[in-house]
Amino acid sequence: MIEIQNVTKRFGQHLAVDNLDFTVNEGEILGFLGPNGAGKSTTMNIITGYISATEGTVTVDGYDILDNPEEVKKRIGYMPEFPPLYVDMTVREYLDFVFEIKKVDDKDKKQDMDRILELVRITDVRDRLIKNLSKGYKQRVGLAQALVGNPQVLVLDEPTVGLDPKQIIEIRNLIKQLGKKHTIILSSHILPEVSAVCQRLVIINKGRIVASDTPDNLSKRLGDSSKMSLRIAASERQAVKVLKDVAGVKYVEAQGIMEPDTIDVWVEAEKDIDVRRPLFNALSRAGYPILQMKSMDLTLEDIFLQVTTQEKVEVS
Amino acid sequence: MLAIYKRELRAYFTSSTGFIFMGFFLILSGFFFAMTNLFPASPNYNSVLGSITFIFLIVVPILTMRLMPDDKRQRTDQLLFTSPLSLTGIVLGKYLAAVSVFVLTLLITCVYPIILSFFGNLAIWEIVGGYIGFLLLGSAFIAIGLLVSTFTDNQVIAAVITFSALLFMWIIDWVVQGLPTDRTSGIIFAGIIALALGAFVYFNTRNIYVGVATALVGAAAIVLTYFLADRYFFDGFIVRVFEWFSLLKRYEEFQMGILSLGPIVYYLTFSAAFVYMTVRVLEKRRWS
Repeated sequence: MIEIQNVTKRFGQHLAVDNLDFTVNEGEILGFLGPNGAGKSTTMNIITGYISATEGTVTVDGYDILDNPEEVKKRIGYMPEFPPLYVDMTVREYLDFVFEIKKVDDKDKKQDMDRILELVRITDVRDRLIKNLSKGYKQRVGLAQALVGNPQVLVLDEPTVGLDPKQIIEIRNLIKQLGKKHTIILSSHILPEVSAVCQRLVIINKGRIVASDTPDNLSKRLGDSSKMSLRIAASERQAVKVLKDVAGVKYVEAQGIMEPDTIDVWVEAEKDIDVRRPLFNALSRAGYPILQMKSMDLTLEDIFLQVTTQEKVEVS
Repeated sequence: MLAIYKRELRAYFTSSTGFIFMGFFLILSGFFFAMTNLFPASPNYNSVLGSITFIFLIVVPILTMRLMPDDKRQRTDQLLFTSPLSLTGIVLGKYLAAVSVFVLTLLITCVYPIILSFFGNLAIWEIVGGYIGFLLLGSAFIAIGLLVSTFTDNQVIAAVITFSALLFMWIIDWVVQGLPTDRTSGIIFAGIIALALGAFVYFNTRNIYVGVATALVGAAAIVLTYFLADRYFFDGFIVRVFEWFSLLKRYEEFQMGILSLGPIVYYLTFSAAFVYMTVRVLEKRRWS
């Protein structure tokens, strides 16, 4: 559906996107991950035709963005990082305007409008001025705008940024639901968000693809250890000494004192080994009570460290 | 284009810009109407139109400063440029919206000659001619403001630069009087233009050979003109080039009620050229 071939973008001397190459299949939800400044928004701006690539080609549904910009743009609904809203209009006036500039056939406009309003749940604010809406509602209007004209492809640039947790879940479910009918590219820097929704992830860093796979495969590949955080009533030296000797522990790192007379420690275990019981037994034998133990999800930073540097962490 | 036009026109009146423009224009034109026609009981309405052209200096920047920067600030340019609209359609929609606010204001000033007509016979067609010229002149100034507004994201800067550019249009006729008219300086000036053209091409294509080639072609054209075509061509060349930009001088004919094709075509070409350049600048920006 979308083919990105050898796309490079330079801003003067700065190389924002470096020889990017990937395809998005029809009906797929693709997660586009990367830290801030990795080139996510730039890539999306190129796919949607907002800016042009320095080199390389982008085709959507067989149409080249340079040769047939209108055909491509008709097929794409774009929600940029900052929703492009005319704040002096009401939601309905704004969507009317979007209907017009997207050259949508007028005959089922009324129904389409109602359907979109209902889908992103802004029916109750449709006659309010956009400038008076909360951030969450503005974000939804931005999403509604992308849905106008029922485009085959949706490009969503960090759609949940700045929303509260409840809204994030709502939007996430909405995207899942939209994924049944649309091809979606979704960018984010939050791993759980994309892994919950997307069938495939493309991770970029400094404009280059560093990993591209299904979320399961990625976490299998990267999750060869499990990390947890412990708070132990002991001194740093005592705690680390005991923990290092537990079988299956790969790496121990003291985090400092958060509570008087305790120490916070990160423990990383070998893959497929549950070290929680051995940890408990070892520490209780030594007489150091565990005050807190929680497993730590792989953060994007961890994945980045792994896919960008491929460092092997050793037991210290 | 129609959607953009409607949206822009609406924006003029949901914000205060449109009202400030109209208010300012009507107060000043009303004042001049009273001073020129009402108090001395003179029927010469065209001299009012002639003397109020200076209002453009102040009101055109107000009208055009928000055209491009506003979309940039609200990031709605992302919506426009990723929609299936053509760039020309977007720019034309914005330009025509600004011109429409101006036309609307002009329509209100039609009350003045109607008032005059109660007191005697008016040269109606002379006034119509004056209005046509006034409209064309204003549209050309608005086109300048449109182009200027694409160069900055800041409305205040856009307004100030537009004001300066228009001010230059005003003093151009005085500047011309002080310029040298001899052949040597004319040739040197033509040479500078050829060089500037070469530099312009170079900065646009980033290709030094094409840039140098352009400059050389320009230089060759100068030499050929001088030796083969018309050796008097460069006498007063600088003055002629500057006079080409003299918008106000061409308005004098309209003010006298003469409706000739030359100035009309000139104004339309001038506006079209600036609208076209605006499109090119926007296109160029998305490429770099």
